[in-house]
Amino acid sequence: MPYLSEIQHRRVIEPNGNEIGTLKDLAVVPQGQFPAIQWAILATGEGERVVKWSDMAQEIGHLRLRTRLEATPQASLPPEAMRLSRDLLDKQIVDTHGAKVVRVNDLQLSEVDGQLRLVGADVGLRGLLRRVGAEAFAERFAGLAGRKLPRGIIPWHLVEPLEAPEANVRVTVPRTKLALLHPADIADIVEEMAADERRQVFEQLDVETAAEALSEVEPEMQASIVSDLDEERAADILEEMAPDEAADLLQDLPEERREELVDLMQKEEAADVEELLTYPEDSAGGIMTTDFVALAAELTAAQAIDKLRELQPDPELTYYLYVVDAQGRLDGVVSLRDLVVAKPDQKLNEVMDPHVLKVEATTSKEEVAALIAKYDLLALPVVDARQKLLGTVTVDDVVEIMLPRGWKKRSSRTLAR
Amino acid sequence: MRRVRFYLLALGPGLVTAFADNDAGGITTYSLAGAQFGFGLMWVLLVTAIALTVTQEVGARLALATGQGLAGLIRERFGVRWTAFAVLTMLVANLGTTIAEFAGMAAALGLFGVPPQLSALLSAALVVLILARGNFTKIQYAFVAIGAGVSISYAASAYLAHPDWGRAASALVQPQISWSGAYFLMLVGVVGTTITPWGQALIQSYIADKGLGPRDLGPVRLDVTLGSGVLTNLIAAFIVIACAATLFPNGETINDAADAARALGPLVGPSATLLFAVGLFAAGLLGLGTVPLASAYFACEAFGFERGLSFRWREAGVFYGLLTIFIVGAALFVVIPGLPLIQVMLVAQVVNGLLLPIILIFVMKLSREPNLGTLRSGPILYPLGWLITGLASAMSITFVASLIIGG
Repeated sequence: MPYLSEIQHRRVIEPNGNEIGTLKDLAVVPQGQFPAIQWAILATGEGERVVKWSDMAQEIGHLRLRTRLEATPQASLPPEAMRLSRDLLDKQIVDTHGAKVVRVNDLQLSEVDGQLRLVGADVGLRGLLRRVGAEAFAERFAGLAGRKLPRGIIPWHLVEPLEAPEANVRVTVPRTKLALLHPADIADIVEEMAADERRQVFEQLDVETAAEALSEVEPEMQASIVSDLDEERAADILEEMAPDEAADLLQDLPEERREELVDLMQKEEAADVEELLTYPEDSAGGIMTTDFVALAAELTAAQAIDKLRELQPDPELTYYLYVVDAQGRLDGVVSLRDLVVAKPDQKLNEVMDPHVLKVEATTSKEEVAALIAKYDLLALPVVDARQKLLGTVTVDDVVEIMLPRGWKKRSSRTLAR
Repeated sequence: MRRVRFYLLALGPGLVTAFADNDAGGITTYSLAGAQFGFGLMWVLLVTAIALTVTQEVGARLALATGQGLAGLIRERFGVRWTAFAVLTMLVANLGTTIAEFAGMAAALGLFGVPPQLSALLSAALVVLILARGNFTKIQYAFVAIGAGVSISYAASAYLAHPDWGRAASALVQPQISWSGAYFLMLVGVVGTTITPWGQALIQSYIADKGLGPRDLGPVRLDVTLGSGVLTNLIAAFIVIACAATLFPNGETINDAADAARALGPLVGPSATLLFAVGLFAAGLLGLGTVPLASAYFACEAFGFERGLSFRWREAGVFYGLLTIFIVGAALFVVIPGLPLIQVMLVAQVVNGLLLPIILIFVMKLSREPNLGTLRSGPILYPLGWLITGLASAMSITFVASLIIGG
């Protein structure tokens, strides 16, 4: 299996043996699982010359044109073509399997179905050593130590190139492979990208995935990504995020930008977010979400379950159901378990627990985290001075307060969807 | 308030790099400059402030536009061989600098009778404690605090020395050049300790690691200008002034910053010795925190290894391995007597001097790449950058030549 570094710079000769230059680069159209090598770029005395790869034959030590150079048709590269050496070698790519950004040391080529194809990116030590001409030496050295040099090849179908093929033309590469990853993995990857690439990713992902991925990005970077996106798109993504997360993000933006975005959001989501923005960031009000399930005390268990079917609340909001009076004041709590084991015609005020552990919106977030940890809660209701239910803080909102920073990054596992 | 917060998020890289530029080696150079030539080199500080601001801004722009550190860009633009060369030389040069930090800290504590072995151990433990706190963004507060400590120590030293502030100020803008070899070498030394290859690497990887983008140019510029344009050389000026007002008129000859601290005692009072020593120790600590980090980051980015303090050992083995080699290896040089300390530092200085022109040329060539968009260096920054590259390179090579001939 040849590597790009092994055939690049080889001599190119005409059928009669006349040397006309060297192989400068190879080009593919980056489509399909293993794209075929379609063009060769030759460095001749008169400058660059593009020919079809099929017009050349690989021989030992050199490449031979099938016809004389003058008789070989001059090819031209379509705009979507990617040049292996110029566009990929030494550049960063996304390893969608390991969900990280890595650097290409060499490219692996192979004959598949009678065609030379790009099959993998070498990102390992071996590729690096090969490039500086030290592979054989290092191999012998490692052999003496009884070890083998590790290979680090990522199959091409798992590779997502990072830079646009022609940096100065700014063609947008569709990042289809990236979109298949779990949002948390996408977040890890975009954190390693340049601002412009990050913007492209968030423009291309579907709104839902974009919202989930954005929630997982480091807080400092969230604000800068949202600032780079156009307002409409940013507002769409913010609507899709949990109101508390959207509000946290908006807090990090300059005033004018924040108002612009809230104006562009759907009325309902905007109202939730605006309410949350009025609380200090490190209070229960600042970290709570305004989504919760509130039910009237007169409902029967069966009616309540019907109501849940209809609402289809997010999983973290499903377990505790709050019982409120006509003014929205918190009267009690019913767990999903209580509801399921209750008789269908039992009223909620018979099954509910009237002693609800709750906090006021001004309680510090550390206090909230401590309560959730102490009583093993999944969520904690937040009320105002008149006991009106304002929102809930769910356990996922406080996990990050309890864990040291950077902890999330510590899982190197990736989750394929 | 929000606007302030928005600015604060982007601040840090310029300030920390600026503080770190005044490391133990820097303090020694400025002390010698003040003791030997009085206010004669003050003007160089002003010129260097401008030069440092320009080179740092060009580097910062590269990082903002590409999200990559210097090593990654060298790899993409100049290929794997130049990269290997840059990494190797950077590692050797920075190991020398790290040893100098340990030596400086040991000398500072030596003034209070602490044996060098103990102080090296103490310094290494301190720096590991700081680095164990997490990523660049998190430890930057520690760095800024230490840098502020250095600044206050030397500002107070300068104040206690009762200098002629008027003369000091006029020396800043009126060059008084004495045409001697020693003067010129000292000038080169001052420039060389301020504009460094690792300083260029540090600001870029810091900005890249922080995930800043083109939008942050405003605050980052402020950060760089405040740091490189004002702070670095203001502190340097305080040191020069403190020595120029006391040691110079008394004809004291000193060999390093610890000598300066010792000599200040009888002339100004014991508090001056204390302040000078504390400043030297803190400066060494700052260098010790940043130089190995910048080196490991540079090497790992060049070759695509995981890097950053938020990774675990298992995930970023090469990164942590290099950090360890730097800190432990450099400490050993100070702890074990009989190792060729002077020779290693001399070699490192030579390598550093040779590397600087190459790094600056890389930075300048990269600064005009079309993919930088609006962050390409403009009609003022670009020629100014090349002018500085030319001058700094000439000085750097002269310095290397003098080391080789002199050594």
